[in-house]
Amino acid sequence: MLDYAYWITQVLLAIGVMCSIYRVYKGPSVLDRVISVDVILIIVGSVMLVDMIYHRHTDHILFVVVTAVIGFLGAVAIARYVAVREPGTEEGHRHAQAIGGGRAPEPETPASASGLAAANSGRSAAGQLEDESTSWFADLARSGFVPKRKNDDESTGQGSGGGGRA
Amino acid sequence: MTLDAILDGTAAVFMVIGGLMSLAAGIGLLRFPDLHSRMHAATKPQVLGLLMLVLAASIMWRNWHWVPIALLAWGLMILTAPVSAHVVGRAGYRTKHMRADLLADDELASAVDRLSQPGGVRREIKDE
Repeated sequence: MLDYAYWITQVLLAIGVMCSIYRVYKGPSVLDRVISVDVILIIVGSVMLVDMIYHRHTDHILFVVVTAVIGFLGAVAIARYVAVREPGTEEGHRHAQAIGGGRAPEPETPASASGLAAANSGRSAAGQLEDESTSWFADLARSGFVPKRKNDDESTGQGSGGGGRA
Repeated sequence: MTLDAILDGTAAVFMVIGGLMSLAAGIGLLRFPDLHSRMHAATKPQVLGLLMLVLAASIMWRNWHWVPIALLAWGLMILTAPVSAHVVGRAGYRTKHMRADLLADDELASAVDRLSQPGGVRREIKDE
């Protein structure tokens, strides 16, 4: 009975690995590939466990532990890389715009309002995917920049020679 | 039927269930249309499948020496699988790797709208 269970389990794990490999090959984004590789790694650990079950030895148990940890680290690292890199350039552009145009306090509010309106229109239209995604994160980043800009205005206002500096 | 036969049969059933769980993860990865649904399929069933395989291994070893190590492997898996799923889902939401037409309800969109208002964050900072 254990022989049949062993071969059935190995075939099931092999089919799971094939499905994951197809997703790695076909996956539209890098995140799909990351989670597919994670699944492949866990299935490799499962294969080692099945081998240990059938042959009644404990040689591979540390490899199973290491497998669990390594899959987690790879997924988190690549997901952080994807999350930070693409909007980070957009945030840099936004920050540069804020520094360059932030001297006069009046144009900030219409600019932000127009940006928000553009974001809303882009979200409703959903025609340009690039504009939609970048404006979404740009709004979030600009809301994070608001306290710094406010402190900057307060410091120039307290200095009262700030008019001369501006 | 002796005790050894019962234990072997239990281990065999657990082993096949673990294989079916990994197969479910693979088929979910293959068939689901979206990053987030694929993420659900990839991170949830095989934790249970690994638990089944660890139990089967613990039954087949017939001693308690390596059971804590095996449970440590499964504990690491169940601690790290939600973290990786969360990080992957967060990155997928931020970089718009999802199909918005498949969502029944986007609860995060209201929070994003509230934060992207011009005075949204400033009011919270004044309260502090």
